[in-house]
Amino acid sequence: MSLTILEGLRPWLIQRVTAVVIAVYLLYVVVSLLFAGPADYLAWRGWLHAPLNSLLMGLFILSILFHAWIGMRDVVLDYVNNVMLRLFVFSVIVVVLLTSGLWALRVLLSPL
Amino acid sequence: MKFKIYRFNPDVDAKPYTQEYDVDVQPGMMLLAALLKIKDEQDETLSFRRSCGEGVCGSDGMNINGTNGLACVTPVAELKQPVEINPLPGIPVIRDLIVDMEQFYQNYRDVKPYLIVNDPMPEVELPQTPEQRERLDGLYECILCACCSTQCPSFWWNPDKFMGPAALLQASRFIEDSRDQATAERLADLEGPFKLFRCHTIMNCVEVCPKGLNPTKAIGNIKKRMVARTL
Repeated sequence: MSLTILEGLRPWLIQRVTAVVIAVYLLYVVVSLLFAGPADYLAWRGWLHAPLNSLLMGLFILSILFHAWIGMRDVVLDYVNNVMLRLFVFSVIVVVLLTSGLWALRVLLSPL
Repeated sequence: MKFKIYRFNPDVDAKPYTQEYDVDVQPGMMLLAALLKIKDEQDETLSFRRSCGEGVCGSDGMNINGTNGLACVTPVAELKQPVEINPLPGIPVIRDLIVDMEQFYQNYRDVKPYLIVNDPMPEVELPQTPEQRERLDGLYECILCACCSTQCPSFWWNPDKFMGPAALLQASRFIEDSRDQATAERLADLEGPFKLFRCHTIMNCVEVCPKGLNPTKAIGNIKKRMVARTL
């Protein structure tokens, strides 16, 4: 057991799995909006609030957050060598991603 | 033919500079022969490593017009003029084209590049089937010239933490070996964010390998084995 908080294999695997989720979801959205696109804003909200669409959007956003965290983490590990600076940049990224995630959750859970 | 060669002698020079040479080249001449001609006829202070002169020993790795390669197997006729020659990038220069390979060798040592067998050694050889032997093709041929690792951006940024393509190719060579009994330990050793997973499949290593090997594929195979063991 090595002394490391950050891992190698698991994030790499998660990055790949989330990439597939993101790709499949985008395909689903494009196809469903192309063939049964809502006419106005209210209809669009209705579409998003359908339980299945809401759930899939949540899954999509969760995948984006994980995917973005691992990608940004990789960039920082490559280019930021100073440990304190690295910690700071990590914190900023986590705060931004968590805020975005919670915001998205609020939108998804807000009443129609 | 015009050459622009990186020069630096830490005993004399405050900083590196580029020196130009003009060499009469013959048809079929390799770059190493041109460098030796400069050393013989124009400037005996020009320093570089070379030994076998036929792409087997891996001593004369250098950066030729921006791309790493072995001078002894690079025909001058294929090079754009002026030919810019630099030491292998990303590692310390000792003098002119001679670089300090210590970090590179350290990473090589770290992957334990030898068979680990825990069972008592048999009286005879450890036999392999032809199929088992075939798995080592494309892995065992590496001559450790360091062309790949020193062309890899991930190795430039984290040479002390990322093993680099050459060492990882060797790791794969022993992970794939049917006679080795330390596969699990080898795979566990490469876990963590740096040692293997700094590879972003940039594939410069594949591009420059003078032996035509594919470290990126070897790294991919290690990842596959890790996944197979974990899931």
